[in-house]
Amino acid sequence: MGVPARALDYAEPILQGPIPDESELTAGVTIEPGKSYGFFTDTTLCIGCKACEVACKEWNALPADDVRLTGTSYDNTGRLSANTWRHVAFVEKIASDGHRATEMPPFQSHWLMMSDVCKHCHNAPCLEACPTGAIFRTEFDTVVVQQDICNGCGYCVPSCPFGVVDLNTDDGKAHKCTLCYDRLKGGLEPACAKSCPTDSIRFGEVPDLVELAHERVADLHRRGAKDAYLYGAPGSPGATGGLGHLNAFFLLTDRPEVYGLPTAPTRASNRVEPALTAGLATMAGLALAAVALFAADRR
Amino acid sequence: MPLDETPRLPGPAARPYQGETYYGRPALKPSPFGWKTSGYIFLAGLSGSAQIIGTAADLAGRPGSEGLVRNARHVAMAAPTLGALLLIGDLHTPSRFYNMLRIFRRTSPMSIGSWILAGFGTFSALTLGAQWLGLPRVARAAQVPAAVAGAGMSVYTAALLSATSTPLWASSPQTLAVRFGSSAMACAAATLSLGERVDGRPENTRTLDQVALAASAVDLAASLASEREYHAGGVAGPVDDTVWAPVQKVGAIALGAAVPVVCHALNTGRRRPSAALSVLGSLAVLAGGMALRSAILHAGNRSAGRPADYFRLARPAERAALPRETVR
Repeated sequence: MGVPARALDYAEPILQGPIPDESELTAGVTIEPGKSYGFFTDTTLCIGCKACEVACKEWNALPADDVRLTGTSYDNTGRLSANTWRHVAFVEKIASDGHRATEMPPFQSHWLMMSDVCKHCHNAPCLEACPTGAIFRTEFDTVVVQQDICNGCGYCVPSCPFGVVDLNTDDGKAHKCTLCYDRLKGGLEPACAKSCPTDSIRFGEVPDLVELAHERVADLHRRGAKDAYLYGAPGSPGATGGLGHLNAFFLLTDRPEVYGLPTAPTRASNRVEPALTAGLATMAGLALAAVALFAADRR
Repeated sequence: MPLDETPRLPGPAARPYQGETYYGRPALKPSPFGWKTSGYIFLAGLSGSAQIIGTAADLAGRPGSEGLVRNARHVAMAAPTLGALLLIGDLHTPSRFYNMLRIFRRTSPMSIGSWILAGFGTFSALTLGAQWLGLPRVARAAQVPAAVAGAGMSVYTAALLSATSTPLWASSPQTLAVRFGSSAMACAAATLSLGERVDGRPENTRTLDQVALAASAVDLAASLASEREYHAGGVAGPVDDTVWAPVQKVGAIALGAAVPVVCHALNTGRRRPSAALSVLGSLAVLAGGMALRSAILHAGNRSAGRPADYFRLARPAERAALPRETVR
């Protein structure tokens, strides 16, 4: 990996302030408003170190959730929540006979690890559900909850097809990953991607990431990991039901449900029109019946 | 749920779903809605449909229905007053309730509903105010837009629940809306029927009970259809084997729909309707209407915590999506 020439300008250890366009140095990405940014999370590279979880909490000043052991795996974080915007899932693979497998397929062996995050859907159900306009699409094509507008109605929470958005009952607002909106504004790579030591989390422009991801899948297939596929990239599982593609998408090697992801999630707003039409038709029919009954009673 | 644009699934995702989950952990978050929301859904339907029935009775213009119309206009104010307080109390930042009218968003039934409630409240208040001030023409004109908004009040709450990812709600948008709408109409007719009896005008209950009969019959059919849909979608667990099962099956369906159909149908055949059957049918409708909203809301929250239910529902139509050759 070549070091960008610009990096040598910052060889001195003491910084006076943020490095302009630092993401060019850390991710090779120039951050400009109007372009579409996201994450490509390659689970075959994840080593489960949870640096992303920690970096996210540190940068966004998020408090700890309930601190206890789940007792089922190394995953004691458990889930994404109002205070946890990256969550590393650990799946221990057990052979079909219930014992540890002795034959290992290439990559990942007994363990599947995946750093889950808000998907920043192209047609985001949380955004479409938000009645106040608190959830909006930023100039970086990411989905963010504006804390000064959210009134804590909580409708975005059940709308999310991935169980990401969550209410904080302490401050009464909805919270989720902002794709480090503040960092993007300052030309910085999001904290989780910057901290990822294996580049399992890649930050970049979505079209570039999709191309990179397809190359990675082809490479893995060539090297024997035939189960590798993309989740959430255009035309793949996860990018279904009117959601469009997911700006944060994944490379998986087992079925999505094993990671806690639905194979074919749908856009919640698909169901507004069918429900309203059927309901209003019912009301029209019953109202006509009432008018007829009252009119008949008059005679 | 059919998914037209579902891609051909790659290897591992293409295998038929066997109930795999991530250590049984919920894949979705349940809604934060509780009794305040189910209470509001009940009141919204009651008020909206009462305005419709009041308007129908007023336009029919039968002598002796003035008291019924007046009662209906009062019942219609339950949602804009008490219901609105419930909604504001359900916000986690109630001081910002006015942000609900900051934008209009047609993809959000919460936004649509906020505007319907605002319009319904305005016209219902105008109708009742005009009546209090002795301006029958103004009341008669204002009640029509109020009744139209009342239809929205009765059913938008079903769209609100359906347009989520919660498996139980997402599995049956149409039947849920038909249930909420018909139950709202039956509840309003039952309330007004009881009111007529209390006010000493039992002759008016006959027509109202017939409205309730029609609405309960629709409710019963839609309820049975929704039970079938829940089973077909693989999401029936919360209404089959949790504490909400009897609330749904005994409370909402048997008591809320079947009992009033029987009571009011028996009365329809009689030359002199039985007061006991009329009152029993009306009370059953109201109890069942509350049971319906509670059961749907809470069973839905339970279903969000059942990952296998969600994953079954969020599968593409198997025929369309299975590749010809599956890897492995």
